[in-house]
Amino acid sequence: MMLIPCPWCGPRDAAEFAYLGEPAPRPDPTAASPEQWRGYLYLRHNVAGPGTERWYHRMGCRRHLLVERDTTTNEVRPHRSHVGDES
Amino acid sequence: MDDTTPVARSAISPAPPEIVVACWAVSGRRSTGALTLTDASPLAKVAVRADPDGELAQALGVRFGRTSRRTDALDSVGTDVLVVGSGPGEWLALGAPGRQLALTEQLRGLLERRGRVSGAASAELVTVVDLTHGRALMRLTGPAAAELLGRECAVDLTDAACPDGSALRTAVAGLATDVIRDDWDGTSSYLLHCERSSGQYLFDSLLDAGTELGVDVDGFTTPSARDERRTMYDF
Ligand SMILES: [Zn+2]
Repeated sequence: MMLIPCPWCGPRDAAEFAYLGEPAPRPDPTAASPEQWRGYLYLRHNVAGPGTERWYHRMGCRRHLLVERDTTTNEVRPHRSHVGDES
Repeated sequence: MDDTTPVARSAISPAPPEIVVACWAVSGRRSTGALTLTDASPLAKVAVRADPDGELAQALGVRFGRTSRRTDALDSVGTDVLVVGSGPGEWLALGAPGRQLALTEQLRGLLERRGRVSGAASAELVTVVDLTHGRALMRLTGPAAAELLGRECAVDLTDAACPDGSALRTAVAGLATDVIRDDWDGTSSYLLHCERSSGQYLFDSLLDAGTELGVDVDGFTTPSARDERRTMYDF
């Protein structure tokens, strides 16, 4: 079982979450080229090692959150933007 | 129409004998077992969404993860209302059967009444929705309730992590479920709230998981249906 640290609910089983992957800035839909959209929709860095990921706590608080996960060890930590707001 | 005509049914089929309580067709079975499961769907259920740091949140006075039982002006006839901090900026108010419309109006009026006192109109966006017939609600009671619940979900239910008055949403038997600890007379008791269409499944799966713990179905009752003593359903 992998635990995801939710800033609202505390550590929870990863099965309660939806994995949304690497956060990427959404291009401006009026100005982006088809290539930029394709990159936004389909291309990922897929690093072997620590990276930032977006998860959605669908069975819990229904909030999106960021975590840092090492893809080679599955070590998960709260993202720095959430550190300190765990109650 | 008298009180014995059923006009509502919960998603969970009542264990025989079927009786009518507050216009709901419910199970009239009475269990004296140590671990009981009751379909509490007739209780009024009203969802509230608002800014977690806003005025309504202040008026409700319940933060995410906690519950509060109040007998004040939330319900004009003075019955208890259990206000549950079910999510960030989300509350669930549980009241006596049949009180859902009154409770909805009372909750909608909370901001207005506050505004009249402070003299300032609120610009806060708030939604108050009656979910009574759209959800299933059950109550699991007994010293072994946490042990049974622990077989169906992966959160820490020890007294230290989940004391009386706690509320959390998690997966129970694979369903998104509000778990609300609401002890009665010193006995552990949990309210479980899920989508109506999942109610029968959750009910059955708890009975299945609790077979060797001796879990037994106990019917729904209100104080007037039993005696003058307050019961745990006397919201
Ligand atoms: Zn959460």
